[in-house]
Amino acid sequence: MSNATLYSVSYDLVHAVLFAIGSVLPAPLHGWIESDGLVTGLAVLVFGVILLAASMLNTILLIWWERKLLGRFMDRRGAMHVGYAGLLQNFADGFKLFRKDTVRPREADPLGFVTGPTAYMVTSMIMFGILPISSGWNSGALPLSLLLALAVFSFAPLFIFVSAWSSNNKYSLMGGMRSAAQMIAYEVPLLLAVVAVVIVAGSFDLTTIVYEQQNYWFWGPLFVALVVFVAGMLAEMERIPFDLPEAEAELVEGWNTEYGGMLFAFFMLADYLRALVGSILVVLLFLGGWTMPSWVPSVATSFPLAGIVWFMVKTYAVFGVFIWIRASLPRVRTDQLLRVGWNRMIPLSLLSVFLAAALVTVKCLPVFGCVPSPGI
Amino acid sequence: MSEMWLNMGPQHPMTHGLWNLRVHIDGEVIRDVDPEMGYLHRGIEKLSEDRHYNEVVTLMDRTCYVAGLAWEHLYILASEEALHIAPPERAQYLRVLCEEFQRIASHLMWYAAFVQDIGLMTPFLYGMRDRDLILDLFQSYTGARMTYEYMRVGGVRNDVPPGFTDRARQVLDWLEPRFVEYDQLTLGSDIFHKRCDNLGVLRANDCVTQGVTGPMLRSAGLKRDLRKDRPYAVYDQLDFEVALADTADVTGRYLVRLEEMRQSVRILRQVLDWLDRHPGPVMASQLPRWLGAPYAPVGREGYLLKRNYPKGVGFSAVEEPHGEALAYVVNEGGEHPYRVKFRSPVYANIAAARHYLVGYRVADIPPIMGSVDICVGEVDR
Amino acid sequence: MKPEDLARSLPPVLAPVLLGVEAFPGFAARVRFRREGALDVFRAIHDLGFTHLAMIGGIDWVDHREVIYTVWSDEARTYLLLSTDVPADDPRVESAVPVWPSANWHEREAWELVGITFDHHPDLRHLLTPDGYAFHPLLRSFKIHEPEELEVKTRHV
Repeated sequence: MSNATLYSVSYDLVHAVLFAIGSVLPAPLHGWIESDGLVTGLAVLVFGVILLAASMLNTILLIWWERKLLGRFMDRRGAMHVGYAGLLQNFADGFKLFRKDTVRPREADPLGFVTGPTAYMVTSMIMFGILPISSGWNSGALPLSLLLALAVFSFAPLFIFVSAWSSNNKYSLMGGMRSAAQMIAYEVPLLLAVVAVVIVAGSFDLTTIVYEQQNYWFWGPLFVALVVFVAGMLAEMERIPFDLPEAEAELVEGWNTEYGGMLFAFFMLADYLRALVGSILVVLLFLGGWTMPSWVPSVATSFPLAGIVWFMVKTYAVFGVFIWIRASLPRVRTDQLLRVGWNRMIPLSLLSVFLAAALVTVKCLPVFGCVPSPGI
Repeated sequence: MSEMWLNMGPQHPMTHGLWNLRVHIDGEVIRDVDPEMGYLHRGIEKLSEDRHYNEVVTLMDRTCYVAGLAWEHLYILASEEALHIAPPERAQYLRVLCEEFQRIASHLMWYAAFVQDIGLMTPFLYGMRDRDLILDLFQSYTGARMTYEYMRVGGVRNDVPPGFTDRARQVLDWLEPRFVEYDQLTLGSDIFHKRCDNLGVLRANDCVTQGVTGPMLRSAGLKRDLRKDRPYAVYDQLDFEVALADTADVTGRYLVRLEEMRQSVRILRQVLDWLDRHPGPVMASQLPRWLGAPYAPVGREGYLLKRNYPKGVGFSAVEEPHGEALAYVVNEGGEHPYRVKFRSPVYANIAAARHYLVGYRVADIPPIMGSVDICVGEVDR
Repeated sequence: MKPEDLARSLPPVLAPVLLGVEAFPGFAARVRFRREGALDVFRAIHDLGFTHLAMIGGIDWVDHREVIYTVWSDEARTYLLLSTDVPADDPRVESAVPVWPSANWHEREAWELVGITFDHHPDLRHLLTPDGYAFHPLLRSFKIHEPEELEVKTRHV
């Protein structure tokens, strides 16, 4: 399993099935069925379907997790009637939204109104294909997978602004403006915090970054970077306390005011997809990915799919922290948010880069141990 | 974005009711505001002219739907003065009990809505949860949770059930530590101070000029509370302090309301002790017969009309949870009030909106208007 | 504050417009005045410390209409009732906004509901009833049991 990737598994699967079919067919079909092009094409399709199913399932589970945990913080139960402990509630909600009519305002721009949420959704799903989940579940070696993930992640303000502007609504427009300003302002500290990780790990490949954390996870020595990254992620995900583009108190859901039905479901799903990706990135960059420290008994790490299980546990725990923040903090104001972004976060992220460089120079820390490879 | 008029309302999460705040904005900065009211106007003053004195109480619950008992108290005080009827003392204590519990319930409702406005969701549910305990108490002796119809000219409809005072004390015991918890959830957060300090400032002299009353006025440091300054019912026999702050901003209004809830608890403990010690009647014994009749039979509308009942004018001023509420009832000898005129505190507080909104940002509108504690039912009447 | 004290402390130039300062239940006193000198009376009352105008109401007495002003003094801790009569065929009185800015909305309400026109009011628009509403609902002649044919124009902003 160690060298296998998700794509290679799907390829082997498709290969085995097609060759089994081909072996019983006459000559011309036999060669055609077993052709490399068909196998590759079907393998990509299977790979995509598995990714889609896994990401959707996880997104919906994430919404359930948020509803239940938020409910407990608020002294209530959360969803509890549809399915066991309300597990099927989100499927019911999704089905309801799916059945609903899509209402488009007469004055809205038809092209932007539909493509905005769709593109937002699609770009969010692309990210899920890039991120490695375990030693087996990854899309193959992409030397710059971290850069690719962050690049796709920063598409969002564009599509939010497109859909906000084409809604032809004052609230939407203001929400879109806020969203663009906020995401651009927090992109910089986010990337600088990532640079700190890259300096220590010496690679832009997420799989490599995870394996570089075998001696110690990066959250300890790179704590400043973690704080900056999480704050930046909160702003990118537009969650409380940074959810002012869709502040329901003054902007009536901001840039998705005019959306309903499936297009709204796209926004909703994409938001949680991005939240999932954000949590996964925190786990990958700072919490050791699917690996566990050596003091954990091997019983707990050697069962089948242990990597995926531990990865999911960490991801949901990280998202639990995001939920905790949402349950206990008020929303900030645009000017305050931007001031904090430019005046506090960027110096702090530069400090984290400096600390990372110092760590690489020193190589060994008293408590944590040594940097496995010399870095860049 | 250039300058534009933005309609916040009639359906908008900020409005807490049904009204329209037209905002002239330049980017995100507010240049001018123009509140538009009347979406909830039901003509309560006109309807009162066509009802018996006790039937108007029904309308009072609909005036402010989160402080119905306070408005019943206001109307009953004025109409008793107009009709020259004096209620027994126990009824007055029961009315104070109603009003103070209603003040806590109303302030809890305000707390829940206000923290929601600045994006805090957890305290919203805490406030609603604790308000429910008070509604349970109301239900146990008025039979309703929102539209109580409890007070009558000459007293109150019924006494509290046995064991009520102990249950009420339990609720108060539960509430007091909760106020500390509320403070931790809001004042303990730097973001709350960033959002609310020096926001929506309206100094004391501006408050007086614009007719602003209630917690908004007291947060500016002016000590005016009708329960102290012009004691009605039995407030002159109760011991409490007037909550004050001097910052005149949103945080000040928050502090004043939280302190008012603590003072209400203090008042309620005294009232409950008094009720335990002094059983007695809750309705005046000598009432005109026509007051008790809810309806005149069809075709005989005139038979209840009393001929020689003395005329009168009743005026009452009550420190409602939102501020200074006045009622002016004219009794011209008919079985219906001739004219009923109410003064709603929120009406004047919204009218002054231009003075505490202009210059702040769009994102500041929800906390500022939230700190005003809007109840559109009593504005539009 | 007794009515006699109040009457003494009012400036003597007001004597022609004052109709009486008398005791009234619930108030320190009731000051009745002619509508011609309304603004002077307002100024004089305001200077006596009655800085807070709490409410303005109109009462329709069929043959005439009465405008009542309730003002509060923070020093004396008491309410004062000002009252003036206006004829039903010419229901107008001077606006109190120059003296008490808070009169603005109260006068708008009295105008639309009781039909009393306030001269020199800065912004006499409909407040509770829709624009173009042609009735004054709080007049005794307006019967709520007889639905009227209403034609309401909507405002285009």
